[in-house]
Amino acid sequence: MYGWIWRKLPGAIGVKALLAAVLVVGFVALLLFVIFPWVEPMLPFNDVSVQ
Amino acid sequence: MATLEKEFEGPEEGPPGGTAVLTRDAGPVAKTVRTLGELLITAGLVVLLFVVYELYITDIFSAGKQAEASSTLDDQWAKDQQRSLHPELIDGQAFARLYIPSFGADYHFTVQEGVDEKALAIGPGHYKGTALPGEPGNVGIAGHRVSQGAPFNDLDQLSSCNAVVLETQTAFFLYRVLPHDEEMQGWATGKGATPQCKGVSTLRDPNVADGGPYNQTTGRKIVLPNRGDAVSPVPYKPADILPVAQQASLLTMTTCNPQFSARERLIVQSVLVKQWQKAPGSGYQDVLKEIGDNT
Repeated sequence: MYGWIWRKLPGAIGVKALLAAVLVVGFVALLLFVIFPWVEPMLPFNDVSVQ
Repeated sequence: MATLEKEFEGPEEGPPGGTAVLTRDAGPVAKTVRTLGELLITAGLVVLLFVVYELYITDIFSAGKQAEASSTLDDQWAKDQQRSLHPELIDGQAFARLYIPSFGADYHFTVQEGVDEKALAIGPGHYKGTALPGEPGNVGIAGHRVSQGAPFNDLDQLSSCNAVVLETQTAFFLYRVLPHDEEMQGWATGKGATPQCKGVSTLRDPNVADGGPYNQTTGRKIVLPNRGDAVSPVPYKPADILPVAQQASLLTMTTCNPQFSARERLIVQSVLVKQWQKAPGSGYQDVLKEIGDNT
């Protein structure tokens, strides 16, 4: 999978590395700002109130 | 071995020695295995990142929301000159401030109305319908123990008579944690006689065998999540057991227990011992001075 992505990236090695870094940062940002905040309420350790 | 090697080899390009080497032109099985491995490693990293998110990143997000809520609250208090006794309660909006001096002089959080996710992401939340600061009955406040700024991370560290201060637009209210179960015996002559514990009683009625309506009320208790009556006017009792005029003024803080679990709730209850009307120019620093070493 990663090999395939690497081969698909255009340009010289330097450009490839830069693009790869951008992809990684984008993926991490997607997780931190979208996916994790969405998942979090479904997990148990935030239940702090009695009902 | 021979069959295995064959599987990992490319169709024709296997090295003459017969050793399995993963090459770019590996066979379909090798490709699948490799992709699966990469996905699993990625999943592991994602889970690790989630731990980092939960423990550190949510704190940063919450700190921002808390700072915003705090300044909004200050503005509102400064602007609203009517000084109404009953704050206007808007869902998810701060209406009071909570201080626990034993957690440090700079420990303070705004208290939002409601205990839903959104309110609790800003800071501790006030159970809707429970008493307001200073009122007879029971002020119920829930807060996160881990993540989201974790305001109640150290709630289990509170000893009896530790101070908890609530600030509203008009006044400061000093609550002190009630005696723990094991301290009830001989409280009045024991720890209860120290200056720190002035005004803190066991709330037990000595004339009744079972201790009266407050016989379940204690400084620290661990209950199941369904004990919504922990924030009842008289804790763990039906709402109508005592008329309002006879109710003690209590503050109940709830959080999850044990840490990282939803199995139980930690309940810390305290009683109102003193209150100060806010004078112009005075603030929490003056309350701290008044409390002195008896945090």
